[in-house]
Amino acid sequence: MKARFALCGLVLLVAVGLLAPPAGAQCQLGVPVIKLGVQGVSSGTHADYGNQINMGATLAVEEINAAGGILGCRLETRFMDEELKPATAVKNVRYLVNEWGAHFLYGIDSSGSAMAVGPVLPELKRIHFFTHAATQRLTEELVAEKKIREIVRVSVPVYQDGILAALVFKDRKDVKRWATIGADYEYGYVAWNLFKDTLRKHRPDVEFVAAAWAPFRTSDFSSHIAAVMAQKPDAIFSTPWAGEAVTLIRQALLQGVFDQIQLWWQAMGGSVDVLEGLAHDVKQDRFKGKLWATARYIHNWPDTPENRAFVERFQKRWNRLPNYSAETTYSAILITKAAVEKARSLETDRVLAALEGMEIKTPAGVRTFRSVDHQFIYTVPAGRVVMDPRYPIPVLGHLVVVPAKDYYRHPPFTPIAATK
Amino acid sequence: MLETIAFQGLIGLALAMYLWLISAGLTIIFGVLRIVNFAHGSLFMLGAYLAFTLYGQVGLPFGVAILLSLLGVGALGLVMERGFLRHLYGVDEAYQLLLTFGFILVLDDAVKLIWGGVFRIPPMPAFLDGAWPVFGRPFPVYNAFVLGVGVLTAGALWLLFERTWWGRIVRATAADREMAGALGVRVPRVFTGVFAFGAMLAALGGALGTPVRVVAPGIGAEMIIQAFVITVLGGLGNLRGAFVASLIVGVLSAYGTLFFPVFELFFIFVIMAVVLLVRPQGLFAR
Repeated sequence: MKARFALCGLVLLVAVGLLAPPAGAQCQLGVPVIKLGVQGVSSGTHADYGNQINMGATLAVEEINAAGGILGCRLETRFMDEELKPATAVKNVRYLVNEWGAHFLYGIDSSGSAMAVGPVLPELKRIHFFTHAATQRLTEELVAEKKIREIVRVSVPVYQDGILAALVFKDRKDVKRWATIGADYEYGYVAWNLFKDTLRKHRPDVEFVAAAWAPFRTSDFSSHIAAVMAQKPDAIFSTPWAGEAVTLIRQALLQGVFDQIQLWWQAMGGSVDVLEGLAHDVKQDRFKGKLWATARYIHNWPDTPENRAFVERFQKRWNRLPNYSAETTYSAILITKAAVEKARSLETDRVLAALEGMEIKTPAGVRTFRSVDHQFIYTVPAGRVVMDPRYPIPVLGHLVVVPAKDYYRHPPFTPIAATK
Repeated sequence: MLETIAFQGLIGLALAMYLWLISAGLTIIFGVLRIVNFAHGSLFMLGAYLAFTLYGQVGLPFGVAILLSLLGVGALGLVMERGFLRHLYGVDEAYQLLLTFGFILVLDDAVKLIWGGVFRIPPMPAFLDGAWPVFGRPFPVYNAFVLGVGVLTAGALWLLFERTWWGRIVRATAADREMAGALGVRVPRVFTGVFAFGAMLAALGGALGTPVRVVAPGIGAEMIIQAFVITVLGGLGNLRGAFVASLIVGVLSAYGTLFFPVFELFFIFVIMAVVLLVRPQGLFAR
């Protein structure tokens, strides 16, 4: 009998020993696991952005866990579809924090969703690292003006889409008449308004001759293209993104647009899914070098060991090139790790304090935290959409690098109209 | 200015014919079976995916790929009607709606499993590439092709329903299914045939669109809304009504984009609201 007890005890001990984490890996933050709630759009023609957000988050968490976690604490993620709908995004963050128990929040693709989620965060007492939504109002208005400190943005806002474009093209004397085929929601309006404001300062001679607006889920742009081309523009400023960008450009090719204009700015055309979708047309040189774009990160820049290693690991894990929403989310989790390790706490105030003055190496380059609007600052170039023998899909080439400080807006922020 | 207006009108006509193709099947199915097939958009999506695979990946000629995807989706329609819908004709309409809604979820996830979550687009078939000068501007051959297919389909449907024996049977069944049954029409067989036929029309729209609009899980949801609006505008179940409503929506929204770009978001709904205020039963309802 005694022997049996002893045997049972031994078995139990061994079992406990096997289950317990190895010595030294005890979580020093007093939680069983650090939970990261993530959301992005993962349905419809924009679905790749949410999926890339999820891939970036998953890769970061796997790597951090393999290296012992954050202060010995394991990370866990949960991904949800925001459907580009503000109501869904708000419901998701409430669920992630209140029901699932998220310590930090990440992602969000739509500007509208981000503007709806922002004001909810103080009540949830959680920091949200935004990694795609681009309206400048998220950081300029909600953080700098309304002091919602729980908002932190790791991705570059519409400064990239609007201001950078104006700076890149201000010296093109042959381009005087600009028109937009714009996304019919906040992002499209603010990008176009920022572009116009900036370009006017450098080029009093330019005219903005036409605008056509396409709502989410537009699949036939022929009337938008025809309406804008009726005004004989020299250049098109275009903000529909993801599958809609590919659909729009393919339909523009059919109407012979690239024979009639000097250049086409596809703001987020440097996105991997868009480049994949345009591959056969680029290979046939159907854009005649007139198609220009940028992104919130491009995998072929900067040429640093960190970035090369990241792209390699990402491709190995997912068999695709990383899109910007993957890099920004990956980096947001690196930033979380650095901040939590410095704060030695998961509390919002302490983690925010740890973000102050942060300068951190990420795949996209060094990101610097700006306290006034909680915006991370880093540079992403613009370029021409070209084939490069090193990659199976088109990339941005002939890169134009404008330093971030020259195309980011700086406080005090003057309001930009978020209307057509 | 006149040329701009004429060109925009032509663009609108091509748009209208595409809308007509996606709403024709929906209204035919409602006219005969009296069910609103919410899964119509999913059948549209499936037609697009099949055409993408057969033309863009296997490399079949575009026309052959379209034909095969029609047959594939038609066969699926047959299974949907025979295996599922048939058992629900006797019960409350809400169950039929629920079932077709269930099909949307299943088919959306199925295409995600088969084709992945990233959108796809094949190259433009050579014979549809390029443009013709019309009113001094390049009008895409592809849009002209869609216009032609739309008009031909309208003509073919008219002939089919008004001039053939099968059409007469279908019309009789639509008018009074019990009487038709009493006179020896095999109503269940007519239902199956009509549902499969409607599914094929949905697939035609999807397949035809592949070279100019990306295909992705969930594209059916947007299509079903437009098709539904047109079906309601024309009068549920009325084929001629759907044709006229497509023309109105297509042409007016093209002009709206040109003259009132600020109101783009709700054109189609303004048109719907106005028509329903004047004629709540739709333009051509009996």
